[in-house]
Amino acid sequence: MKPLLRIENLSVYAGDRPLLENLSLSLCRGERLTILGETGAGKSILIQAIMGLLPPSLRASGSIQIDGRDLATLSRRELECLWGRRLAMLPQEPWHALDPLMRAGRQVAEVYACVLRQDAERAAANARRDLAGVGLEQAGDKLPGQLSGGMAQRLAFCAATAGGAQIVLADEPTKGLDADRRDHIAELLRRKGEEGCVLTISHDLEVARRIGGRVLVMRGGRPLEEGPAEQVLNAPTTDYSCRLIQAAPGHWPRIERRADGEPGPAVLEARGLAKRHGGKRLFQGLDLRVGRGEILGLVGDSGCGKSSLGDILLGLLAPDAGQVARAPGIARHRYLKLYQDPPAAFAADIPLGRLFADLLRLHRLDASRLPPLLERLRLHPTLLERPAHEVSGGELQRLAIARALLLEPVFLFADEPVSRLDPITAREVVQLLTSVATEHRCALLLVSHDPELVERVCKRTLRLG
Amino acid sequence: MIHLFLKRLGQAAFVCWSVGTLGFALMRLLPGDMAFRIAAGRYGYDQVNLAAAEAVRAELGLDRPAWRLYLEWLFDLLRLDLGDSLVSGLPVLGEILHLLGHTLLLAGAAMLIAILIAVPVGLFAAFRAEGWFDRAALVASAFLRAQPVFVIGLLLLLIFALELRLFPVAGFDGARYLVLPAIALALSMAAVSNRVVRHSAGAVIASAFFAFARVKGLSFAQAFVRHGLRNGALPVLAFLGIQLAGAIEGIVMIESLFSWPGLGHGLAHAVFNRDVPMIQGAAMTLGLIFVGLNLAVDLACHLVDPRGRSDE
Repeated sequence: MKPLLRIENLSVYAGDRPLLENLSLSLCRGERLTILGETGAGKSILIQAIMGLLPPSLRASGSIQIDGRDLATLSRRELECLWGRRLAMLPQEPWHALDPLMRAGRQVAEVYACVLRQDAERAAANARRDLAGVGLEQAGDKLPGQLSGGMAQRLAFCAATAGGAQIVLADEPTKGLDADRRDHIAELLRRKGEEGCVLTISHDLEVARRIGGRVLVMRGGRPLEEGPAEQVLNAPTTDYSCRLIQAAPGHWPRIERRADGEPGPAVLEARGLAKRHGGKRLFQGLDLRVGRGEILGLVGDSGCGKSSLGDILLGLLAPDAGQVARAPGIARHRYLKLYQDPPAAFAADIPLGRLFADLLRLHRLDASRLPPLLERLRLHPTLLERPAHEVSGGELQRLAIARALLLEPVFLFADEPVSRLDPITAREVVQLLTSVATEHRCALLLVSHDPELVERVCKRTLRLG
Repeated sequence: MIHLFLKRLGQAAFVCWSVGTLGFALMRLLPGDMAFRIAAGRYGYDQVNLAAAEAVRAELGLDRPAWRLYLEWLFDLLRLDLGDSLVSGLPVLGEILHLLGHTLLLAGAAMLIAILIAVPVGLFAAFRAEGWFDRAALVASAFLRAQPVFVIGLLLLLIFALELRLFPVAGFDGARYLVLPAIALALSMAAVSNRVVRHSAGAVIASAFFAFARVKGLSFAQAFVRHGLRNGALPVLAFLGIQLAGAIEGIVMIESLFSWPGLGHGLAHAVFNRDVPMIQGAAMTLGLIFVGLNLAVDLACHLVDPRGRSDE
């Protein structure tokens, strides 16, 4: 059978530095391939290269063929004609990829109308059918801002594939989704892979397992190991694959859950908190006491109010009822938050080094504390020369952690801090975060969609919803 | 929505009170005898003498304490009575309504021309960002913006009225008189707004949702019309609300320069004649135009952006 997508010896360089080296793969109809690997391993670059969307500063060699046609021989116009019709790309950040002012149904219907030239009625009917197919029949009239992350990703899936593309490329499509929603997206991709072919990039092993097909492990831009999903995931042959698979939260060592551990003096006490959002009750009559150095987990489905609760505790959001008391005599800036979306937490166009320098100056901190902190978070100091948008999401989240730790917080609300990191880095970051929090006697409220992760590192878990 | 209207209504009331009070105080702080200046305004500097000044003082009660005059004015304002012009003796309200029509005509024409210049120039510069057109538009905008608006007006006058004799120099007697003042005002407004359009459109083109629309299979034009225009219009509309303050200032200068029989011209005349009720009335009306236009901008934002609507 002729492959739909065939890549031979693809290499991508930034100057002389290779981001991706000698990658070859081919996908025929009905095939699914999931690429696993650490953040910054050139995985996202691969999808950009296939779409013809590589930034001009990068140089590529090798060949990419779609339906047997080499992309290098196509004009820009011919390449763009493949988008939506032959090639579909699932965005990494569905919220950002959807038009914030257009209702959900129309974002799908417009593909039928503009790309497939159907009349408005038929396009709308097809869009309704697609949305119903992914469980979004109620959401057609909603704006993207009113959708949860999982709903936004399903909407993006419908919009991306409505043009009839057979080759689906998905770049970390389940990032930040809780287990149920993640499995739902994986199932959509698996089904799509039966009629066309699907290339997924992920660092979630469960996604790879559910999509099935083949798995390719990459490290440092180089392919390391390839084989059927079950085989690679259950019996990896390379040392790195072993570590990658061992790094899934399910394999982490359990911490001792001591009921008798004496809690430190309270840094934060909340009584009778209640919050409603969009006509839905998130929580009511919630009491919470956080002691110094305590590591507390917070789990629940997406949209259940985890982030709202953290924001209320920090005083960023007002509760509908109840009150929050912070320990007296501690500066407000030592109650901090690690954001879910690191690019949104940094000014985009200013070199990170200057942001850090400003912070050090503002709080009159000792600049020599920064380098060891960066080293512990596996961050190269040269990253500080770049602005936030030129740094990968994983690195940026580690920088955000470094930035928070500089201020010696007494309470840190970490909102899904590792949902964007590959398992090895995630494990390292969570372990570092929890150990530093314990060392500095900083209380940590760790929010995660992954109950397993929370269970492994937190002594106490709060479940919402 | 109702909240928005009430907020703007409150602003309008505040503008009336503060502008009127400020005008009242400033005119009293100016050096020189007020009665004498008003008399001079009525009879001309050659005719005026001490007796005429005393007559004016007695007629208008200017020898009474200032706070009484102020309270009287405030009370009249509550009854929507702006008083009579000290110079012509006619009710200020009637004079202002007459001038207002001309000002709105000029402002409307100028805004229309500004939009016709700024939107195409801004969009074309955004589509070819950093190209020669973009750079030329930047230089031209900086040059135009660096001039006070009356310099642009003077240049237009010199070239098109005095040298080429294409348009009349000043006054108002038909559509030909509108062309130069409207273009002068429009150029000054478009100088900044075309850059705002360019940046706003550039940001939309660089956005993730625009890229995703392209990847869905939409052409550049389809993606821009369907996703770029609405999203790009929001910052432009927000900027328009800010720019209006500058436009009002420009109207005063341009009307004076072209002897355009509008509010700004009337205001300048009233200032020279110490015609306090007229100054207060004209300044107040300009302030109300500003509030009204801002309300229009709010409504436009509300129409474009479905997110903030309270009914959802």
